Amino acid sequence: MRSTLAIARKELSIYFTTPWAYVVFTAMVAVSSFFFLTFLQDFQKAQQMAKVYGWAQIPTEFKNLTDSVVVPLWNAITVITLFVAPFLSMRLFAEEKREKTFELLMTVPVRPIEIVMGKYLGGLGAITATLGLTIVFPVILSIFGSSESGTALEWTTVLLGYGGLLLWGATCLAIGMFISALTQSQMLAAVVTVVVLWLWMLLKGVTQSVEEPWRSIAGYLSFGEQLAPLHKGMLDASAPVFFGSVIVFCLFLTHRTVEAQRWT
Amino acid sequence: MPMIEVENLTKRYRDRVAVDRLTFTVPEGEILGFLGPNGAGKSTTMKMLTGFLPPTEGRIKIAGFDVFEQPLEVKRRIGYLPETPPLYMEMTVKGYLRFVSALRQVPRSKVGSEVERVGQLCGLGQVMDRIIQNLSKGYRQRVGIAQALLNDPPLLILDEPTEGLDPAQRAEVRALIKSLAGKHTVILSTHILPEVTMTCERVLIINHGRMVAFDEIRNLANAHGYSENISLEEIFIKLTAA
Repeated sequence: MRSTLAIARKELSIYFTTPWAYVVFTAMVAVSSFFFLTFLQDFQKAQQMAKVYGWAQIPTEFKNLTDSVVVPLWNAITVITLFVAPFLSMRLFAEEKREKTFELLMTVPVRPIEIVMGKYLGGLGAITATLGLTIVFPVILSIFGSSESGTALEWTTVLLGYGGLLLWGATCLAIGMFISALTQSQMLAAVVTVVVLWLWMLLKGVTQSVEEPWRSIAGYLSFGEQLAPLHKGMLDASAPVFFGSVIVFCLFLTHRTVEAQRWT
Repeated sequence: MPMIEVENLTKRYRDRVAVDRLTFTVPEGEILGFLGPNGAGKSTTMKMLTGFLPPTEGRIKIAGFDVFEQPLEVKRRIGYLPETPPLYMEMTVKGYLRFVSALRQVPRSKVGSEVERVGQLCGLGQVMDRIIQNLSKGYRQRVGIAQALLNDPPLLILDEPTEGLDPAQRAEVRALIKSLAGKHTVILSTHILPEVTMTCERVLIINHGRMVAFDEIRNLANAHGYSENISLEEIFIKLTAA
């Protein structure tokens, strides 16, 4: 336990002493703020239209800030995460191998599972910080927004949605960490992770021509399908179970890869 | 009980044999010099002793524990300095040593004094708060040695500990290693032959992965029919020429 926390702390401190975390933060905030402004403008336009033509003409999702700005923003953030999380996960193992510090980790009295969990926790801290930065947008809305019925934002929905986003970030990280454990090259790890995440995201689309029942199975397994409820502002039990399983599976594979060092 | 028992140790990479049926034992408290030309298999052997690389064949026991079957027990007893010092360039010397202390299971309350102790032993007092990235090669090497000494392990495996040091620093490290004798068992590999004569009682010389000599330096000189003051260098060249 102590070794796990020591490794997690070391990972976090390295993220914040090298430029990587800041590059990822900047990318996340810059791109998501662009989407935030776009959705906010659409919302404003809908409001003005409603004043002229009456609410009956306006699609229902434009009736409140949560559904018209925050929920579409999650959609954008999941895609941004897909591209930036690999840049956080790439160094976890590849860097240790390239810098020969892996030899240290493998020759101190620490079990492979402690190494894997420590690194994952450290990465999780970094991805949580990245996603956490975007909570500034709902906060802005709740400060400056107003509603005719109660608060401007449905905070329970927002916080649940952020739970979903974190789960997604944690999934990207687990996949990225496994891929990082397979190579010495950080760049290769990042690129392969982006490709894997992207294909997995679009699995439903690319398997359209496949016969049943494979099409349904691929559809169920695709990230896009599992994220769909979140993108509608809903969170049911199936997504946590699905993403939780993917994370556990990736941690298991990473553990096996590290453990295999002793055998081959 | 001997500290190290190696039996028939072999490492093969496809069709290349890196280490070929090594068998030797090292008693507790001895300083053993591990010699051989570049590429003879010294580092590979040391990596197998620490459990970082698995052997293709053969068995290694450290303090009676099998390296493959009880890796944690073995790792608890070894301080290891690899060929390339395993340093995190972004950390300060103190931060790094504290991190390795946690990994080497130094009791929490003793981390501060233990870091202080190894820092003192390796002459790191001046650079404790500096970032490792900014240190000279000699200092980095010393941080690597300091890391191996944390938690006072009974067995030290040092892969070219004096690499990159200037003559004065080399003398310091030699003195440090000598002072460890008795309480610690030390295996050190090196290219610098006079160093071995000065620090070690026995030497193990390998060439092409095979053991060519394993004896006290004095006996080696006698066995090769030279006079008392024959240099180890001449014996080394003779033995590894084949």
